[in-house]
Amino acid sequence: MASVELSSSEQTEVEIFPGSPKDRTDAILEVRNLRKYFPIESKSILFSKVVGQIKAVDGIDLQIFKGEILGLVGESGCGKSTLSKTIIGLEKPTTGQVLYRDKDIHHPKSKTESMEVKRNIQMVFQDPYNSLNPRRLVRDTLKEPLIIHKLAPGREEEVVIDMLKKVGLEDYHALRYPHEFSGGQRQRIGLARALIMKPEIIIADEPVSALDVSVQASILNLMQDLQQEFNVSIIFIAHDLSVVKHVSNRVAVMYLGRIVEIGPTDMVFDRPAHPYTVSLLSAIPFPDPDIKKKRIILEGDVPSPVNLPEGCRFAPRCYKAQELCHKEEPMLQEIRPNLWAACHYPEDEKVIFFDVVEEEA
Amino acid sequence: MSSETTHPTHEDVLLDVRDIYTYFRTESGVVKALDGVSFDIRNNEAVGIVGESGCGKSVTAKSILRILPKNGEVVAGEVYYRGVNLLNLTEPQMRTVRGKEIALLFQDPLSSLNPVLSIREQMVDVISLHRGVDEEEAAEIAVKMMKAVGIPEAEQRIDDYPHQYSGGMRQRILIARALALEPRLLIADEPTTALDVTIQAQVLDIIQRMRKELGLSLMLITHNLGVVAENTDRIHVFYGGRVVESGPTRDIFKDPHHPYTIALLESIPSFVKGKGRLATIPGSVPQLINPPSGCRFHPRCKYMTEECKKRPPLEKIGKDRYVACFHVDKVLADRKKSS
Ligand SMILES: Nc1ncnc2c1ncn2[C@@H]1O[C@H](COP(=O)(O)OP(=O)(O)OP(=O)(O)O)[C@@H](O)[C@H]1O
Ligand SMILES: Nc1ncnc2c1ncn2[C@@H]1O[C@H](COP(=O)(O)OP(=O)(O)OP(=O)(O)O)[C@@H](O)[C@H]1O
Ligand code: SF4
Ligand SMILES: [Mg+2]
Ligand SMILES: [Mg+2]
Repeated sequence: MASVELSSSEQTEVEIFPGSPKDRTDAILEVRNLRKYFPIESKSILFSKVVGQIKAVDGIDLQIFKGEILGLVGESGCGKSTLSKTIIGLEKPTTGQVLYRDKDIHHPKSKTESMEVKRNIQMVFQDPYNSLNPRRLVRDTLKEPLIIHKLAPGREEEVVIDMLKKVGLEDYHALRYPHEFSGGQRQRIGLARALIMKPEIIIADEPVSALDVSVQASILNLMQDLQQEFNVSIIFIAHDLSVVKHVSNRVAVMYLGRIVEIGPTDMVFDRPAHPYTVSLLSAIPFPDPDIKKKRIILEGDVPSPVNLPEGCRFAPRCYKAQELCHKEEPMLQEIRPNLWAACHYPEDEKVIFFDVVEEEA
Repeated sequence: MSSETTHPTHEDVLLDVRDIYTYFRTESGVVKALDGVSFDIRNNEAVGIVGESGCGKSVTAKSILRILPKNGEVVAGEVYYRGVNLLNLTEPQMRTVRGKEIALLFQDPLSSLNPVLSIREQMVDVISLHRGVDEEEAAEIAVKMMKAVGIPEAEQRIDDYPHQYSGGMRQRILIARALALEPRLLIADEPTTALDVTIQAQVLDIIQRMRKELGLSLMLITHNLGVVAENTDRIHVFYGGRVVESGPTRDIFKDPHHPYTIALLESIPSFVKGKGRLATIPGSVPQLINPPSGCRFHPRCKYMTEECKKRPPLEKIGKDRYVACFHVDKVLADRKKSS
């Protein structure tokens, strides 16, 4: 987290979260210096010894504001799911804190506080099949949290049916088991399970990846309705960048455990500063055969999160890398108003990817 | 409707799927997954297969290669591959087709590798069997292909196990293995869903390169219409176990005729347009045990009339253009009005 000294006379330091819009004060979730390392053990017959660390999440500072949709994108394996699981408390952080309305999620002061946090931050898991109990009717899966949190005493059944309809399912679906649904329907059950708690924050991990575009469109519309109707905040993880662009207000781009660029959606997509974001955007396939793109094909593989390269994590694959990049790790800095990137040589120009090849014949 | 009239064999046809019906027996009844699917793929051509989840794309691939689960069966139709009906071959003959002639990349690639065998073990045997080379040469081919798909230090990494590779690398190993057999036809079922766009671009680039170098044909099944637009020559659009429209890729995107194709294209979130509500297709995916009569799209179609309760034939409407809808004229008139 960057601390800025106001002036030499004022000694107070103001905390500045990279990428937080300056005009907003209504953060409801704060992620501070979060790290999650997984130990790598070498097992011999007698001992097991830690020989290294997978640095899945490696120093993240982030605020989530009331009613915003934050898109989270980045290469497969860069730590998006691990970050999410650590935020909801499923993984213990190696360092750092997650605060929900100033309450430390990993160290609740009381049972009530822990219940309040659990209810208010819900996650839609990446794999809809494995996250649902195959031997339970959908009705029972959805009813359980209502009972635990005493959210609708005596009216559970009614609330379940209402919620199924909200996500575009029918009342008879309540009496089915998970395997009796198509992939898209299962993804909607996962969503219903999260929404039924009326949480303040939803973390949706690839909620539309298995869906064809028309079903995907109905889920995205639903997410936007929820944001407008209930003012929920959503962290939205997806590989499909046009989907992220469509739903999010802000976007954070992750690379190897870190946020490398964060800012308002339009700025990140129209005039990205970080070369990784530029490569990412240049790789989006475009659903129009008349448009050919200038593509930056990244060379080489993602470095492993065990042996991180010295300097900038992206340097081994970066088209702009200079000597400095291999020596010194760049920190997130405000490149343009509200747009932050961690790069020594950020892009300045608007990058144009699209070339219309020919006009309609 | 006879299949000959709808799909006259093009001189250059590699695979000609004619009017196949594939059914599954289940406890709740017979699932009529494929209900007269017809399409073709030509030499050195890349064909996209698109359509709603559950419309029969993967079942079509499995029917062609005859690897359906036990409760499934192709009950009617023909699958001509280089003029031979694959459905008439014996199982040993079929084994010479799989891999060497037609390679399949499964929809779920991460479960297609055996976690307890090294990559070497999983590549060398298959390659030496199908290419008829000894193990040493097979290993050389394997390493060469791994390099071609962008795996660094392939000589060393070939001895690693699947868990030591990232998801994207595992997917590329499978592509390398499939391409090492130098098949004539590659069927790729959602080959890039688990990949982020940069690796997706890398993988598609490799497939296209192999297409030029080996003269390979590609049958690409995917929900990602951007991937289809950029990587295919023709598209066959599936709905409810049938082909409802087919044609050159550009025509399908620029001049769709079937109400389902139009609705599908309208629901793509646009990268350039604003944030308005996305169009969706009302109603739900057809139930395949008691499917809707006639045109299977009729319960969700705004052009539906009584006539649609009969089955619309897949009719030729232009060079390489086919559509199965009674109301194409109305659809086109509507579009003229709105534009
Ligand atoms: N339980 C675990 N034990 C060891 N390593 C793990 C564990 N969970 C995740 N990792 C590693 O942490 C890194 C980040 O994984 P994560 O699942 O968070 O990635 P992701 O960004 O969600 O990727 P994807 O887009 O593929 O879902 C990867 O290198 C992964 O192998
Ligand atoms: N083993 C099976 N038993 C019964 N029904 C099956 C079986 N396999 C597939 N089906 C059904 O056949 C239909 C077609 O399935 P298929 O897997 O081909 O869909 P798909 O088009 O590949 O969809 P997706 O885009 O979700 O992969 C579906 O309705 C499915 O439920
Ligand atoms: S710091 Fe250097 S290597 Fe890293 S992204 Fe910027 S230019 Fe590329
Ligand atoms: Mg993940
Ligand atoms: Mg499938």
